[in-house]
Amino acid sequence: MPGVAQRTVDYARNYRRRALRSTLLVAAVWTTGGVAAILFLTSAGTAPFGTVGAAVSSLGIIAGLVGTDFILVMIVLAARVPLIDRTIGHDRAIAVHRSLGKPALYLLLGHGALLLIGYGLEQGFLPFAELGPMLATPNMPLAFIALGLMIVVVVTSLVAVRRHFSYEGWHVIHLLSYVAVAFAIPHQLSLGGVLANGTLPRVYWITLYVLAFGSIATYRVIEPVVSTFRHRIRVDQVETIAEGVVSIHLSGRALTSLGAVGGQFFVWRFWTGSTWWHSHPVSLSSVPTDGTARITLRDLGDGSRRILSIPSGTFVSIEGPYGLFTPAARTAPKIAIIAAGIGITPARALLEESRLSPGEATVLLRTSMDDRYLWDEVATIAKAKGAKFYTMTGPRATSGARWMPQRDAERGVSLRSVFPDLLDSDLYVCGPPAWLELIEAEAVAAGLPAHRLHSERFDW
Amino acid sequence: MNTRQALTGIFATATVIIVGWQVGAVALGQGAASSTSSTATTTSNPASGLKSGTYTGSNEQTQFGDVQVEITVANGTITDVKTVVLTGNEGRSDQINSQAAPILRSEVLSSQSANVASVSGATYTSDAYLTSLQSALDKAKG
Repeated sequence: MPGVAQRTVDYARNYRRRALRSTLLVAAVWTTGGVAAILFLTSAGTAPFGTVGAAVSSLGIIAGLVGTDFILVMIVLAARVPLIDRTIGHDRAIAVHRSLGKPALYLLLGHGALLLIGYGLEQGFLPFAELGPMLATPNMPLAFIALGLMIVVVVTSLVAVRRHFSYEGWHVIHLLSYVAVAFAIPHQLSLGGVLANGTLPRVYWITLYVLAFGSIATYRVIEPVVSTFRHRIRVDQVETIAEGVVSIHLSGRALTSLGAVGGQFFVWRFWTGSTWWHSHPVSLSSVPTDGTARITLRDLGDGSRRILSIPSGTFVSIEGPYGLFTPAARTAPKIAIIAAGIGITPARALLEESRLSPGEATVLLRTSMDDRYLWDEVATIAKAKGAKFYTMTGPRATSGARWMPQRDAERGVSLRSVFPDLLDSDLYVCGPPAWLELIEAEAVAAGLPAHRLHSERFDW
Repeated sequence: MNTRQALTGIFATATVIIVGWQVGAVALGQGAASSTSSTATTTSNPASGLKSGTYTGSNEQTQFGDVQVEITVANGTITDVKTVVLTGNEGRSDQINSQAAPILRSEVLSSQSANVASVSGATYTSDAYLTSLQSALDKAKG
């Protein structure tokens, strides 16, 4: 069919463009790191590595420049910049953000330690004796406070430590990183010659800060406020669809101009006395119209329980839309969708959003209990769009393919048998992390390239 | 119009303005320094009380190195400032000093005094430079 062929070309081209953007973003990140080091080398004195002491000090300065560059990159990655979200998705941006945290901290600790040692060697002092004059230097006390705060921020974000905090508690501590970054600025600009007044390196450095703090201000503060007041979303009706599961019907103005696509999520905040301080990243469970939207969520913790009974008319603030669990991420001619439990919400919206020719899509719904909410809706959409529709019900298998029920595992069912065109498909999976990882592993083992795997972890 | 696109436009514009302004400041800063120093050399000021000649200032020591300047006075005007001693303890201080000295020199030539702001990033060197300069000026008033 010419129509199918046409579409195939489009998905492949979209993917190439996105891959190119992604490569450019990665290259940009590495370039900023390299430039940070070069800034020092171009402005260094006659013999930056002439003596042992000078060499140690020079390395210390380079560590500080590169470490600070990493921190600024981390800020941009956490800023939910639309270009980054469209290219690699919010999840991966945050994963990169996390992976940079420890290297950045080590570089900044190295910066402090190497300079103390380097100056000590130059002047024949012990490194600790160098601490006094250093603290007496203008702006240095602030810089030490900044380093201390950065240690707190990174340590509280280590998986083992973070478990002990509520999200809100952790988040408040995490906001200290902005204070840390701000406190570190004066010593960078006033000490050392690398960023001396009236030089282009200083302009470059200030530009990095403008971009980092500008993206945070634009996309994490101003955009949510403007969107919230522009679209004035309110709770229309809370519909209980199963034990502990509700669909919240929302109404608002000009919602189409949000550009939200089925499969994306928003971070919602419901402004009642007991719920306003909790934010909820929840996917749309249907494609929004200009005046209405719907989300479906399950009570998974103390925060979402109160949501189950919020009154109609409650004001809702939004951040979003975010996410690449959408047709925009497609790279292949066919599409396979697997969803489990509450993970059905973005899968349903994705299916509704997708423009499909008959036989292009295959949908598999999975539950280990009896929670088949929205299954009838998915079945209806699948039928209307000519998608194949399968279900798997029953407790997880204890051997074999453990993401499916025991009897299916025993029958020898596999991803390839459910989705014969798997290797020509994009696989969208949404559900609990442990279950999802089993499917990812099987898909990769079956030969599905990583870029055709689109997962959304539902652990909230 | 989409809120996100509008804000992205505003953010991009603001960034360009801020960066452009900074780059402009760098370019103008260099231009302004050269123009004021040329004005200064043409302004003869016999009322300054400075006698013609060459005067060496005191040797000032800082934790980042030693500084000593020498001034040349003609017709009551400081026509040149040389840094006869400018040592850095290590590469970093060399770097700071070599950037700060020309800035200080042009400031002094344009203001015709030691009453100029220190160069940020080189506060210690600036202070030593200006102290040494003041002692040279004192000798010139002799």
